[in-house]
Amino acid sequence: MSVFWTILIVLALAALGYILGRQKALNSVGGDSRRMHSLPRYYGWNVAIFTMVPAFLVLIAWMFAQAEYVERHVTSMIEPADIGEGSNLSLVMADVRRLASGLETAISTGAMTADQVMALDASKDDIRGMLGKVGVAFGSDVTPHILAAAQNYREIVSAASVYRAIAVLAVALIGFAYAYAQTNGSFWARNRVEQVTLGLLILCSMIAIATTVGIILSMVFETGHFFGQYSWTEFFFGTTWSPNFHGNSQLGMLPLLWGTLYVSAIALAVAVPIGLFAAIYMSEYASPRFRSIAKPAIEVLAGIPTIVYGLFALITVGPLLRDWLAQPLGLGNSGSSVMTAGLVMGVMIIPFVSSLSDDIINAVPQSLRDGSLGLGATPSETIRQVVLPAALPGIVGAVLLAASRAIGETMIVVLGAGAAAKLSLNPFEAMTTITVKIVSQLTGDTDFAAPETLVAFALGLTLFVITLGLNILALYIVRKYREQYE
Amino acid sequence: MNDMRIAERDVETNESKISARKVQVYYGTNHALKDVDVDILDKTVTAFIGPSGCGKSTFLRCLNRMNDTVASARVEGTIKLDGENIYDAKVDPVQLRAKVGMVFQKPNPFPKSIYDNIAYGPKIHGLTRSKSELDGIVETSLKKAALWNEVKDRLDSPGTGLSGGQQQRLCIARAIATQPEVLLMDEPCSALDPIATAQVEELIDELRSQFSVVIVTHSMQQAARVSQRTAFFHLGNLVEYGETGQIFTNPKDPRTESYITGRIG
Repeated sequence: MSVFWTILIVLALAALGYILGRQKALNSVGGDSRRMHSLPRYYGWNVAIFTMVPAFLVLIAWMFAQAEYVERHVTSMIEPADIGEGSNLSLVMADVRRLASGLETAISTGAMTADQVMALDASKDDIRGMLGKVGVAFGSDVTPHILAAAQNYREIVSAASVYRAIAVLAVALIGFAYAYAQTNGSFWARNRVEQVTLGLLILCSMIAIATTVGIILSMVFETGHFFGQYSWTEFFFGTTWSPNFHGNSQLGMLPLLWGTLYVSAIALAVAVPIGLFAAIYMSEYASPRFRSIAKPAIEVLAGIPTIVYGLFALITVGPLLRDWLAQPLGLGNSGSSVMTAGLVMGVMIIPFVSSLSDDIINAVPQSLRDGSLGLGATPSETIRQVVLPAALPGIVGAVLLAASRAIGETMIVVLGAGAAAKLSLNPFEAMTTITVKIVSQLTGDTDFAAPETLVAFALGLTLFVITLGLNILALYIVRKYREQYE
Repeated sequence: MNDMRIAERDVETNESKISARKVQVYYGTNHALKDVDVDILDKTVTAFIGPSGCGKSTFLRCLNRMNDTVASARVEGTIKLDGENIYDAKVDPVQLRAKVGMVFQKPNPFPKSIYDNIAYGPKIHGLTRSKSELDGIVETSLKKAALWNEVKDRLDSPGTGLSGGQQQRLCIARAIATQPEVLLMDEPCSALDPIATAQVEELIDELRSQFSVVIVTHSMQQAARVSQRTAFFHLGNLVEYGETGQIFTNPKDPRTESYITGRIG
């Protein structure tokens, strides 16, 4: 039985449990819901939850365990001779899985019976041709071992799916019976349901945390591999970036870090004044009507896909800067430059600065403004001397969040600043950033054992640490600011 | 009302400091204040009393044009400070507010040091030429607000760290520091405990020797304790205005009598 149908049946059981549980609780008090401990629906939910939750937990656990078990069992059937030149075990296993699913398709479309499939013989039958007829293309001829493994694989999986459905439905029924037996008017159903809800909330927050931890662990793991093959001092302090897929690469990250920081600095130099001044105008001077139009309009900037910004940088800003600034000043004649990417990225992060700062400035209590105006200060003096100092920690937080956005940006840099890793002070020269190099190291035909590829993980981890640091700093500052009033 | 000790009523001067004629205030289409005529005397404490929403705070905010900061508010009529109409186009509301200081309902110290809170007004108005002169103003303002002894050793600590009563006295000191001629107080004790209230009331009585003080209050006892003149507002009208003792003991208008005896409000 497929997973889909199992889930559907469990859900139907739960719905039935809701109705029956509610009814039983009501009957136990003679239909007078005032004599029950909880509202009738809580008794229904109690039964439904006991039907669903354990069954789904068993289902999830089963699916993980099954995958692991089948993989191990079938892998043991493959012999070293089956693994051809230039291939490896995981490629062969991929073939086994595809063959097994092809056989399954053949059975379900009626081209073959289960017995026929078991009786297939790789040396006699044209398996490739038969599978081609049911729409499963196979690259090479099937060897006997692989066929046997695939037949075995298919058999285990189809048997397992039956056991799985039985186990899950049994758990669902046991849960149903247990909760239904418990149900009567004096049972504390509300507290039980609320406990389960609490558990659900905890689970969701755990998933978010676990994902972060998982990302970090996978990065750390691969980074460890990288530093096993490449010296960390050369990575962190090397000033040359020239990866070479034949080996002997120089993978110093300093040019990339420099490019990242340079582009981000220009972006912030554009976005912070513009965003902050826009926020001040909108929160302190603009009429509510203007604000209600202008604020969403500025936020549209944040919704433009970065690739579109990249095109804008490549087609418009880059040539413009080259023809009107770089060439006349004799600073170079490259269309892609740090300045191009920085300016366009600055425009992109304006809404991050302006929108957050606007909210923060609005959160400064009106009583402080009144106090200042009441002392004879002008609105401008009030903003400079009272409102901005009060909002400053929050604004710094907003700027740091924008900075981590700028550091992680890729597309604008690819199209705007180019891909040449260089250590230079000239803002009109092409440079590149960490993110761009991560992309270029991982695209194309890559060998995940070579330092040239693994360096991407080390770069990613470095970037992650930088932006995480900035985010923690920003959160810390914002939180400290919140404590200041009330 | 036995606890109402009616303070000495000797008004030292009968010179009018502010005179308002036919003042109307509208919030959008809502006519919040109708035909108010008041003469506020110099070096006198004037109390505005009345039930919530009667327009007393609105009128107070007209006296230093704080209503200008409310977009929907519109003020008509004339209010003269020393004979000059403060709603005249020639009058800069910012300059006016330096002359007519204000203390608010909730203590609102700036998130700065105690010293900088007091020095704020003198600095923006350029009242001092040297640091020592500014130090002098800070000290005298804090002394007048009866706060100096409590904070003189920690002038650099933040004003927000003081207790509620201290914060309110800090705000009064801040208002005094710009050397205003009139001090407006909008329910200055409503967020304070009785001890802090008593300190602020004592302070108000002392301030009377230097400025004209206008106080909005919900507490009739407070009005009776601190003021020489009382104005009773009801539903946007000025019902009765006169000497505090007369208002509380012998009101002319039946509405005033109903309010002070607790029948309306």
